[in-house]
Amino acid sequence: MALGSNIHVGMCFRIGCLNLNRHRKRTVFTALGLGVGYFAAVFISGWMNGIQAEMVENATSLVSGQIEIHSSSYRPERSLYETIGGRSGVNVEGLLRQVSSDPTVISAAPRVYVGGLISSGESTSAGMLMGIQPDLESTLSRFLNELVEGRLPEPGQNEILIGTEMARQLGVLIGNELVVVAPGADGSMGNDLFKVIGFFRTGLSEFDVGVGVMHLEDLQLLASLDRNRIHEVAVSTLSPSIAAETAERLRDTLASDEIEIAVEPWTELRPAIVEYVALMGSAHLIVFSIVFFIALFGVANTMLMATFERRREFAVMLALGTNPWEIVLIVVCEAVAIGLLSLLLGTVVTLPLMEWWQNAPLDLSRFYGDLNFLGSLVRPRLRVEYDMGILLQAAAMLLTTAVVASIYPAVKAAKVPPADTLSGL
Amino acid sequence: MRIMIILFGIFCFGGIPPKINAEQSALEIIERVDRIFRGSSSRGVATMEVVTENWERRITVELWSLGTDHSLVRILEPAKEAGTATLMVETNIWNYLPKVDRTIKIPVSMMSGSWMGSHLNNDDLVKLSQLVEDYDIEIVFDGERDSVAVWEFRLTPKLNVAVVWGHIDYRVRQEDDMPLWARYYDEDGELVRTMIFRDFYNLGGRVLPRVTDIFQEDKPGERTTFRYRELEFDIDIDRSFFSIQTLKRKN
Repeated sequence: MALGSNIHVGMCFRIGCLNLNRHRKRTVFTALGLGVGYFAAVFISGWMNGIQAEMVENATSLVSGQIEIHSSSYRPERSLYETIGGRSGVNVEGLLRQVSSDPTVISAAPRVYVGGLISSGESTSAGMLMGIQPDLESTLSRFLNELVEGRLPEPGQNEILIGTEMARQLGVLIGNELVVVAPGADGSMGNDLFKVIGFFRTGLSEFDVGVGVMHLEDLQLLASLDRNRIHEVAVSTLSPSIAAETAERLRDTLASDEIEIAVEPWTELRPAIVEYVALMGSAHLIVFSIVFFIALFGVANTMLMATFERRREFAVMLALGTNPWEIVLIVVCEAVAIGLLSLLLGTVVTLPLMEWWQNAPLDLSRFYGDLNFLGSLVRPRLRVEYDMGILLQAAAMLLTTAVVASIYPAVKAAKVPPADTLSGL
Repeated sequence: MRIMIILFGIFCFGGIPPKINAEQSALEIIERVDRIFRGSSSRGVATMEVVTENWERRITVELWSLGTDHSLVRILEPAKEAGTATLMVETNIWNYLPKVDRTIKIPVSMMSGSWMGSHLNNDDLVKLSQLVEDYDIEIVFDGERDSVAVWEFRLTPKLNVAVVWGHIDYRVRQEDDMPLWARYYDEDGELVRTMIFRDFYNLGGRVLPRVTDIFQEDKPGERTTFRYRELEFDIDIDRSFFSIQTLKRKN
């Protein structure tokens, strides 16, 4: 495309690139400024994404499922009596089969929850007893796959797993016996001895101090619940992002006149995390804006100096009949050239670091411990999650910054009065 | 005396002369209560019938009390739970579980848990006996209700005392100082629990309600009914009786 009388955009760009050679050090430092801005924008966005991913993953796979199925009257009180299917219960095997038949469901596991007391000698803890089927549970939640010590409970053996913090408070070791007391569904007070066979540590402080995990059948017996009475079916899907759609389908699949069932994806069970993720998502643009706004003034300053030094050159060009818009174009092209150089430098530094931290997150435990946030866990790791979208957004912001920063110097250059400037005034 | 105090509603209206009269100050009433119950001992056998939305059960218990701070309750029936016992000493509660032959102390965090499946919780057992210490008492009505001369008392929390109830109302029959009902309200003035005392009888000069019904407003249709079958006062027990060893005794 031809601009003005005889100067093309390509020529302007070449002139701009050549001008970068005049003050190489200044060019490099300016490019580094923008490059660091590029790195900062990508890194901060990636880190925010990493925290989001950590929170969502831990909220949906550490202990809870991505979808939970209850009796419609179970939540929020979580009453012992509100089992799926009411007092008569439900065909658990059939329900699990129905749920697992959805192509996006990876696994489904039944659970029973009973509030109770766990006692050892003089020490007693109030807590939640969680009954699980270990073979199904281990394909659904992570916390049992990462036991600090011990093994999973077997049915009919009165075995219990407890959190490391509860173990510390009760002062128990593997092999010790605990008295477990729980209200029975028939009004009786269930109580029995359970052998400690392992410790888990989720990092969720309330969970580690307040939950005892036992085999589903053992807890049903303790709480006088029939085998077909369960409180929950926890479901994992291919990805947390599709949980809501899967839940919708399961609602249709499980809809029945006889049993009132609530199928709730994590997005409904943990609305605070959903809102936080949305907030973090919108914060990307703010982070980009702040980072590049700071860089903007650095680049503008450099460009202003560069054009001021060359005002006689611009005066000659204007005196020889160059269109002022062509001067603007030359300066803007120079800025774009700096931007591209910055992008190259930034990418060379950013990509390897991001790839490294994405695959092997740095351990930050020396700075802070596990964070419990909105009921989820954020481990002390520098976990970053980035994609091409972030890289392209940051690149676009970088080039935009370079162009915006050059407009004022370019206009100043185009307005150089030729006669006065050349006469030394 | 703790269980009796709660279940007979006699923590401040003991049925022993002199009668309460409208001119008596709250302080005088409290002093009289102290006089009545300090050092009193008792033993009884009672049935507790609990009806809930989900189940009904009936248990028979044997109870011992000494003063306002020492109580022991042991289940006699049904056989499945026989021997299960609760010991209350001041604000501490222990449960003995014969099936596993272990005693556990109820942690503070579980004090709101139901006591033996009833509509009373552990905290009620500990705190209801302290009502006279935590609440101011005033007579808000003196006259006839349904052709019966009654007083109505209102208990309001003392300043700077952490309490469960916003206020408690009692209706007392003037004829024999017997409570007819107690109503427990939350801080918003909403009725939470009603206790109705009935089937009065005279035992060794003490008039007492044989039956107490407890209703929770948030659980319509549910109730706990406590009915005494045997009761004797001033028995030969002292504080040493209320021990973990006694708690673990099978009979």
